[in-house]
Amino acid sequence: MEYLIHIGIIFTIYAILGISLNLVVGYTGLLSMAHAVFYGLGAYTTAILLTRFEINFFVTVILGMVVSGIISLLIGLVLNRFRGDYYALVSFGFNIIIFSIFLNWQSLTRGPLGIPGIDKPSLFGLEFSNNLSFLILSLAMLGLIYLISRFIIKSSFGRVLKAIRDDEQAIQVFGYNILYFKLTIFVISACLAAVAGSLLASYITFIDPSSFVLMESIFILAIIILGGLANLKGAVLGALFLILLPEVLRFVGFPSDIAAQMRQVIYGLILILLMLYRPQGLMGEYKL
Amino acid sequence: MDILPQLILNSIIAGAIYALVALGFNLIYGATKFFNLAHGVLSAVGGYTVFFFSKSLGLNFYLSVLLGVLLAGLIGYLLDKFIYLPLRKRKASNMVLLVASLGAFTVIQAIIAILFSSQFKTLSQNVGQQKIYEILGGVITQTQLVILVSGIAIALGLILILKYTLFGKAIKAINNDEEVAKIIGINTNKITGYVFFIGSAIAGWAGILVGLDTGIQPTMGMGLLLKGVIASIIGGVGNVYGGFVGSFLLGFVENFGIWKISGEWKDAIAFGVLIVFLLFRPQGIFKK
Repeated sequence: MEYLIHIGIIFTIYAILGISLNLVVGYTGLLSMAHAVFYGLGAYTTAILLTRFEINFFVTVILGMVVSGIISLLIGLVLNRFRGDYYALVSFGFNIIIFSIFLNWQSLTRGPLGIPGIDKPSLFGLEFSNNLSFLILSLAMLGLIYLISRFIIKSSFGRVLKAIRDDEQAIQVFGYNILYFKLTIFVISACLAAVAGSLLASYITFIDPSSFVLMESIFILAIIILGGLANLKGAVLGALFLILLPEVLRFVGFPSDIAAQMRQVIYGLILILLMLYRPQGLMGEYKL
Repeated sequence: MDILPQLILNSIIAGAIYALVALGFNLIYGATKFFNLAHGVLSAVGGYTVFFFSKSLGLNFYLSVLLGVLLAGLIGYLLDKFIYLPLRKRKASNMVLLVASLGAFTVIQAIIAILFSSQFKTLSQNVGQQKIYEILGGVITQTQLVILVSGIAIALGLILILKYTLFGKAIKAINNDEEVAKIIGINTNKITGYVFFIGSAIAGWAGILVGLDTGIQPTMGMGLLLKGVIASIIGGVGNVYGGFVGSFLLGFVENFGIWKISGEWKDAIAFGVLIVFLLFRPQGIFKK
């Protein structure tokens, strides 16, 4: 049972990451490969504030979103100069630069040693110290983020995003400020990803830079490409599938390090096959 | 001891390694105009093939090197034939090709890790007994000399081939306009296949040399690839000559950068340079 709860919590974290990335990649058509940056910013903000200043977890979540939002605004301003595959490449670059900062700003992040002993959340005397209550908390966060995202894409703001994705020039002719829309959704997406990071830090109680490498960004991208671009339920399903996959492999009898590599083989193959036969993903509404 | 000659020598050696990756990458980009991210993992294929044949099977070292280069080339050729070619026929966007190549990268890297474990291995036969040469007050090992000489030789060879042979002119024609090249009777698919073979074989060669110089790891491809891509873009993407010069420029910037800042920031410096170039001179140094 503990094991299932653990899988459940990890799943909710990746579902949040998938949903938030889908806002940028699926709905706005910007192929960002820097999502692990914002995931990491949330995680580090929570970890540092909880271990050094003993601020309440929920306050650190908000502050993590703020930090992630500010950094994403700066990154987004640069990224907005690029399109298509160059956009992807530059976002790659930002992932590596921020990862270097996590790794090398040792006085703040303790570098490769990581930050241990992060507290579990508590609110009004309510402790989320056992895993079941943490699962409920993270599910609630997932639900909230799902609703926020749905609200965004159903609003007129969301319709403009889709229009930018489908024909940027046309929507510019209508007098929309494209930069404003692209930046806003990029920042929102980064803020939501930071929540996933805060949850991870507090759940595992330990973080180090290796959770926020470039391959992690690619993994999150694989989640939404599998589940479906521009489909929120698809992102949740993609996360469920790719999180369960290594567990199933382990169940079948692969040793766990082989299972981890097998997951990579399978999600790599999924990426190739989907690109060849169904570039919008299983439930997607938009093709790259 | 004066550090300057060694620093210059290190920059040149680093530049030569990047050049070996950038040459093949640029050759392929010149013909297909997409970022083939799987290019880097072919270096790991080359390195591990040599490891397998010469260290595990005890085959002759030079024969193993030949097999490593050929296998890397062959896998590059097959990737084109079974993944990129069908996608290009379908007029898939560059982003689709990029994601597919990322999938191929993930699969091959994970397969190598399953077969050979993720541990660091060295290819060199007699560790610590390499011949060392002194040039202008700096030190260079035999392997590094091979890296430098072969880097320059391959670059010269490629530039001559592109300029003076029919094959080179065909690549240029495809680069200019694939449709027109087809109309005048160039078998574009065949030529592109050869380009993938040659470019990937050079990547395999680079991986073998890196394995001899330092060592091999399944994840070695990503680092090499990113440096190769950055060098290509600095020089002018798709321009073989530009990529060559860009590699040495990158080598110098990185090595002189860490003279003043500490060594861990190498990757961040490299990407910083890339982003500055993309913002202010996106066509690279040499592209008209």
